[in-house]
Amino acid sequence: MKFWILLQRDVLVAWRKKSNIYQPLVFQLLIVTMFPLGLGAGAQTLQKIAPAVVWILALISTLITLENIFKDDYEDGSLALYALSGLPLPMAVLAKATAHWLTTGLPVILFAPVIGVLLHLPGDAYGVLMLSLLIATPIFSLLGTVGSALIMNLKNGGMLLSVLIMPLLAPVLIFGAGAVLETTLGNTPAGHLSLLAGCLVLSLTLAPLAAAAAIKVNLE
Amino acid sequence: MTHNNSNPYKALQSTILHISHAQCQKGGEPLFAPVDLQLKPGEMAVVAGQNGSGKTTLLEAVAGLGTFCQGGIEFNGEHILDDWLQQSHYVGHYLGNKASLTCLENLNFATTMNGVRSDETRISAALDQVGLAGYEYHHASDLSAGQKKRLALSRLLILNKTYWLLDEPFVNLDVAGCDWLYESISEHIQNGGAALLTAHDNKRIHQKANHLIQLVRP
Repeated sequence: MKFWILLQRDVLVAWRKKSNIYQPLVFQLLIVTMFPLGLGAGAQTLQKIAPAVVWILALISTLITLENIFKDDYEDGSLALYALSGLPLPMAVLAKATAHWLTTGLPVILFAPVIGVLLHLPGDAYGVLMLSLLIATPIFSLLGTVGSALIMNLKNGGMLLSVLIMPLLAPVLIFGAGAVLETTLGNTPAGHLSLLAGCLVLSLTLAPLAAAAAIKVNLE
Repeated sequence: MTHNNSNPYKALQSTILHISHAQCQKGGEPLFAPVDLQLKPGEMAVVAGQNGSGKTTLLEAVAGLGTFCQGGIEFNGEHILDDWLQQSHYVGHYLGNKASLTCLENLNFATTMNGVRSDETRISAALDQVGLAGYEYHHASDLSAGQKKRLALSRLLILNKTYWLLDEPFVNLDVAGCDWLYESISEHIQNGGAALLTAHDNKRIHQKANHLIQLVRP
């Protein structure tokens, strides 16, 4: 019950500050238009790099939103309201991650085909692209809660957060972009997708605990 | 500002907050000499001390937001944190209002998060009591510093907790606001509640206090 209340509040807060929702998308669009300019407009070159670029853009645009997951709540004191509410802290983390995914991950998934078109991604890869992002974006949000909880009381923690989280996200990028790449080459992406799903299960079980521990440490 | 007792307090058990030999640290060094306090319903304790003496740190630790490096709190003679959280509410320097939410939404969240059923008329009544009548649909970011404080304090009226933990509650309030808060705390204590607060430079509250804790360097 309290889980839903926190989830609802976070979605409402994000909805009130809509720039949080469309900022990552605008960011992606701006960067992707640079690729044809920098590489020279060859459909074939773009096609080759498309799986990696779409994925890296999804990753980085999410990364810039992670800092505030807990920082805002810490700074305005509303963290205390749910930390002291009797709701187990890992559950609160899960609610925060879900809300973050709904307001950041979901738009990124829905926007990915647009980025794909701009990079001449072959037609048969779109399904796998969206499927791989569907599995991976919750991982971004979940690991993001850990990073955000670690840096919530720092003034300029954004850079530190990237340094902390990037190595953890590297396997996700490898399997995710790999799945799309295999599809464009005519192979089955099943292996990559399974490993990606494994990463999701791992972060779903461990990230809330780690983030809760980080919050406790930072409150001391 | 109207002032009536719209939420009668639940029948209170003989709960006792016991702070025994408690010390908090910052940067590896203890902030203050060990503190002992026994706070029963119907009593008020005021924590006093210079700036930097650890008043906020102590209150946060008591509220459950921090830790003691030595000693700690017992509630009803046991170390059950859940019971303590059920019966206490903390309003600190970081008020806990979400800027992008309206007053109503903020209080709604606070009440439901505390397991109290949210009731719009009751929230409106509380806003009326703290002098924010008609601000239900104003965003918290549009309020002045004093009004934000009032919004945070209005949580106390709705949440029905025995122990009020208040960190410098009089700061930012105007004269009428201070009077209201003083009356409100007095009434809470008369009704069998208890309050632990920090307030420097407030003679009235210092005189009223049953316990005065002076934080000194160890």
